[in-house]
Amino acid sequence: MKNESTGRKKSSSRFHNQKSAYLFIAPSLAILTVFVFVPLFGAFGISLMNIDIYMNDISFAGIKNYLKMFGDARVGNATFHTLYFALLEVPLQVLVALVLVMFMTKNTRFHKLLRTTFYLPYVCSMTAISIMWAMLLNANYGMVPYLLGKVGIQMPNLLASVDWAMPTVILVTVWKGFGYTLTVLSAAALGVSHSLYEAAELDGANGFQKFLYVTIPGIKDTIGFCVVTTLIMSLQVFDQIYVMTSGGPQNSTETLVGYIYNRGFQTAPYDLGYASAIAVYLFLIIALITFVLRKYAFNQGGGEE
Amino acid sequence: MKKRRIHVFGVIGYLVLILVMLLVVMPLLWMIVSSFKSDAEAIKWPPLFFPTQWLTVQYEYVVKTIPVLQMLGNTVLFAAGVTVISLFFDSMAAYAFARMRFRGRKILFSIILLTMMIPFQVVMIPLYLEEFHLGILNSYPGLILPRAASAYGIYMLTSFFTGVPKSLDEAARIDGMGEWKIYSRVILPLSKPALVTLGIYHFMNNWNDLLYPMMLTTSVEMRTLSAGLAILVGTNSIKIGPTLAATVISVAPLLILFLFGQRFFMEGIATSGMKE
Repeated sequence: MKNESTGRKKSSSRFHNQKSAYLFIAPSLAILTVFVFVPLFGAFGISLMNIDIYMNDISFAGIKNYLKMFGDARVGNATFHTLYFALLEVPLQVLVALVLVMFMTKNTRFHKLLRTTFYLPYVCSMTAISIMWAMLLNANYGMVPYLLGKVGIQMPNLLASVDWAMPTVILVTVWKGFGYTLTVLSAAALGVSHSLYEAAELDGANGFQKFLYVTIPGIKDTIGFCVVTTLIMSLQVFDQIYVMTSGGPQNSTETLVGYIYNRGFQTAPYDLGYASAIAVYLFLIIALITFVLRKYAFNQGGGEE
Repeated sequence: MKKRRIHVFGVIGYLVLILVMLLVVMPLLWMIVSSFKSDAEAIKWPPLFFPTQWLTVQYEYVVKTIPVLQMLGNTVLFAAGVTVISLFFDSMAAYAFARMRFRGRKILFSIILLTMMIPFQVVMIPLYLEEFHLGILNSYPGLILPRAASAYGIYMLTSFFTGVPKSLDEAARIDGMGEWKIYSRVILPLSKPALVTLGIYHFMNNWNDLLYPMMLTTSVEMRTLSAGLAILVGTNSIKIGPTLAATVISVAPLLILFLFGQRFFMEGIATSGMKE
């Protein structure tokens, strides 16, 4: 009798504990359900419908929106530019960060000052950075064409050039983002054991060799992490292109997100159904890449699991 | 011979670092000092780096002609609102995941982590329609609510809370404290550095965000600085001088915050690359 009552008390307290755990999670779960999960399934649903921003005449479209994508040259164009951007921007950003990390492996005051300085552009919004660089590069009053002109280099109007606009956007993105990668990589590099460097020195390795044979292998997981996260971000590129070129000239910088925004919110008939179909297509590309590279993104710290 | 090689490596490194430092600092410095130029000097050829006369006309003009102060207010309210509420909800959920045992803990945690994988661009159109139907498009709740909980925040705080010694809440439990009190009086005060780091992460990301606030606001009065600026520049409806002033207004608060609390800006991301 006594036994049974304590047993019940125990289980009721555990039950109470469980209930309060759910209460602790409830607000976050509600927010994520309403504003992430419902819209995620909604995106698939909307892509199967005829629907515009005014929401009159909503009807079922089947796979019409998806079929339309195949005949739309701008989808292929945007896919190409999204990949062009990602495949150039990501290696460049990681490479710039790596080269700089090679020269700042010590935790001196000078190196700390450098890390802070390199991080400054990352704190500013992409909007602000893009506005600033568009002005600096402007052919009529820009500082960069002027300075290059003084050393005899005639610079084309970069952001107005079909060939140069995309590389320029990529360079501005690297300029803004390398400080982030550098912070992550140099934190990892500082964690590489000193004894490894000392051993390399005994073997007569110079600075570059130490970097190549000690630092890089020591931080290769972190490099992988940086590549994957930067890649996923770069497939969603929008801000800098919207501000600097709006996708032009002649759609030469139009990416998938830019095209989704354009079809859904910028040009009549504001076809949300079609824009959603392109969004689902982008989602599948990102999901596929994430899946293929998952072991670099999640398998941190030397092969557990 | 060996010594000289190391020396050369060091000199090259030094030069590269100084060069890159100039490449980073000079454009930012140019932007700030140019916001004090007159209209004529802003588009002068050959361009001048520093203004010949330091003027505040661009700031006066931009405050008068576009609702830049209103946008600043919106940005503060949006970024701070998201930060405070999200820190609260994230830490509550993280407390349950890290310190309590309940049915479905693992699966719920995995589901929440999964939302980190979903790009915003995929959900933005349904989100827009949802807000339209809820009648919160172009409002503060419409801007703040979808960001009021973050999978990344829950993930980060869960791993931080897991590291707090269990003996602390066992002692509190013996003292008769309930879960809520243990969360608010024991765990939260011990987690201040993690909360500040996550708070700055939320604040910076939302302050700087473009597509999200641009899509969910339809009137100039509701725009954040980033969205308002991008649209003004996109429509060519603003001159160089005022654009520079407005841009400086939009980055100055974060830059000042960064110079005072850079540790909290950089520590969080430095460790993000080597979780566990």
